[in-house]
Amino acid sequence: MGKEGVNLLKLMATYDKRWGYLLLFILVLLPMLQPIGMPISVSELTKDYLKQLETLEEGDIVLDSWSTEYSGYMELKPGMIATHKYFIKNGIKLFICLGHPEGLALVDALLNEEIKGYMEKYDYTYGEDYIILGFALPNQAATLAMATDFQGSVKVDWKGDSIKGTFLDRIETGADIDMIADFTTGAGNPGLINHIVLTFGTPMIQNQIGVSLPGSFMNLDAGLITGLLASTRGGSELELLIKEPGPGLIAMDAFTLGHYLLIILIVIGNIGFFGWTKKVSEKMESTTIR
Amino acid sequence: MSWFFKSKQVNLAILVASFMIGFVPYFIKVPQVNEFANTLTNISSVVGQFTIVIAIYSQYRRSLRFIRERRKGWVYNIYLLTFMSLMILIGFTWGEHNATYMWLVNSIVAPCSSVVYGILAFYMFSAGARAFRARSLKASLLIVAGVIVLLYQAPLTGSVIPGIEPYAVFLTGTVGMSLSRMFAIAIITGAIMLNVRMLTGRELAFLGFAREEES
Amino acid sequence: MAELLFEIPGVESGRAFGLILILGIFILGIYYMRRGKLPYIRRVAAIDAISEAVGRSTEMGKPVLCSYGTGGFGYAVIAAMSILGHVARTCAETDTRLLVPTGGSHTSYLTRELAIDIVKGQYTAAGKPEMYNEDDMPFLSGEQYSFTAGYIGMLVRDRPGAVIMTGGHSSEAMNIAEMSNLVGALTITSGTYVSNMAALACASDYIMLVDEQPAAGAYLSKDPEQLATIRVVDIYKVLSLLLIVVGLLVLNTTGNDFIRRLLAS
Repeated sequence: MGKEGVNLLKLMATYDKRWGYLLLFILVLLPMLQPIGMPISVSELTKDYLKQLETLEEGDIVLDSWSTEYSGYMELKPGMIATHKYFIKNGIKLFICLGHPEGLALVDALLNEEIKGYMEKYDYTYGEDYIILGFALPNQAATLAMATDFQGSVKVDWKGDSIKGTFLDRIETGADIDMIADFTTGAGNPGLINHIVLTFGTPMIQNQIGVSLPGSFMNLDAGLITGLLASTRGGSELELLIKEPGPGLIAMDAFTLGHYLLIILIVIGNIGFFGWTKKVSEKMESTTIR
Repeated sequence: MSWFFKSKQVNLAILVASFMIGFVPYFIKVPQVNEFANTLTNISSVVGQFTIVIAIYSQYRRSLRFIRERRKGWVYNIYLLTFMSLMILIGFTWGEHNATYMWLVNSIVAPCSSVVYGILAFYMFSAGARAFRARSLKASLLIVAGVIVLLYQAPLTGSVIPGIEPYAVFLTGTVGMSLSRMFAIAIITGAIMLNVRMLTGRELAFLGFAREEES
Repeated sequence: MAELLFEIPGVESGRAFGLILILGIFILGIYYMRRGKLPYIRRVAAIDAISEAVGRSTEMGKPVLCSYGTGGFGYAVIAAMSILGHVARTCAETDTRLLVPTGGSHTSYLTRELAIDIVKGQYTAAGKPEMYNEDDMPFLSGEQYSFTAGYIGMLVRDRPGAVIMTGGHSSEAMNIAEMSNLVGALTITSGTYVSNMAALACASDYIMLVDEQPAAGAYLSKDPEQLATIRVVDIYKVLSLLLIVVGLLVLNTTGNDFIRRLLAS
């Protein structure tokens, strides 16, 4: 007895989605292990973000808000690394406020691993150039308190050491902050916009994950944020612009291949739909006894 | 004395007062109230953090029951309870900056959190591949728009087909953003109306006063 | 940002028009709530889908899983409670087990108590108080992804016939919707988080977009307050549309940015 031949159209319509997962996994993994080096384009969004960074001068103080869990950090990592490298290279002072309890892991991951060598290269030291205030912005009230009376609401860093005698002595209210850099995975901390941006006109740049970009586009369009870095792709573009290649550029090959695979599967699915599924359902309709 | 705290009117009065303390200084310049509003909000956010106690109790109770009944995957509940207890013990005894605690956070909590988030990519991938079918004209237009945006999102495309950027930016920046804006207007208006209902005493379920069933 | 059209003495700069809009909502809301006559809203298609979902689960002998969101007391969560009440009542009447995972944020413990009251109340009203089981409404976690992991665990272990995920869910909604699809459940979701909508529309069998979920909640509960909310939201949507159209026409014909300055005030 002969076997029935494989119906290609049926296969296209009914393939197990796990094959898609496997293909995606392979196409993402291989370029990460062996980068291909495909060219990338730089969007106007990232160019505008860099223009905002370039308005800062050496010694300016930036509120560095990390409102992301560790999972979001994975997506924001290229943008965070590139932005912080820019800050370090140009002598920008940072005070880092965590908006999520998992931020503790981020401090280790970013400052003690990813850019530690870079900080040593530019002699960027704790207490002189950057201070970590810890879980200082958990909600809007804390942000309001910091914005209206910084010295009254913030006295110690994340380990309980006094911040007196550091560059933070220059900050009385939100007006003394030169810029806000918000790295967030969702709505972030609306208090930054409500109580600092709107009240004092402080410029704010944001690095946002892909799924939450629609909300951030609204703020960008309204002028509430002045620069927006879009997820891993934006981070990789920034790496290219500031000539500091990092994990973002490595990931772009995988990014490209993953997107193209999805488009191919959509096309395959539609071919299968028109060639098989639709015909089967039409046949069933015509043979149904009413 | 308990009648005082159980009284609907007293609870409502406290609610209205708290609302005014938070709402009024945002619009009307009343500096004296600002500080009190900050303190009040800080108190409420600290109280909110105690949900962790409910979570821990619920998790212990549920996991122990699963272990006792040998439900599917009960071994993972032993793992969960062990590490939960370990982290609570180490965190309270030696603090959050302790090397062992940080190792547990970096080696277990952080990767687990990343995995759940990373799986999203696969799920979105399979959902997109499954859902985009040209069943009608509208669906076909959606696919065309989706493919344009997907192509633009792939970094290689922008360098190979630079002309695609204006179309993709129009779709996301104009069409997408207008929908987001209307979305935001609807949700925010609804949220303010909810506040109106709460302040006028017509929605007190959150204070623990269940509405009587109407027959 | 646009130059302000006006400033009211004593009011914070740039917030006067916002205050007027909010006061407008207050006045309209109180008017519609006290009016006596219930505002009309159409029957949302998803309501039939909910009945179909529960019926499907009953026939298959599988439980129904219904969640109401991860946030605290918000607009979407309150509306989701009405849907939860309807689902609980239907499950009680058909002797179908109902699972309600709770948690997901630090404020979710507040809503959990209300959800328990609602489910218990509906079981009692249907004459089956013994159906209530606290372990069917576990508080999974106050953290988003821990909640997601627990939710997915429930899906994989209990294999519900239907998953009704309404209220305020953020990025975990995609995880849950796709996993419920994988376990073969009929998935009904609501898109109250703008970033989720597209993904949920792909992953779910039925989706309630934006206001459809509060409208479904209001329709099912026939609650005058919820109906008044829907009416006021609709009025403000129309008002926004008018402002946008008029503002665009005026700006493009006369060059006057009156509306923009008004809104910025």
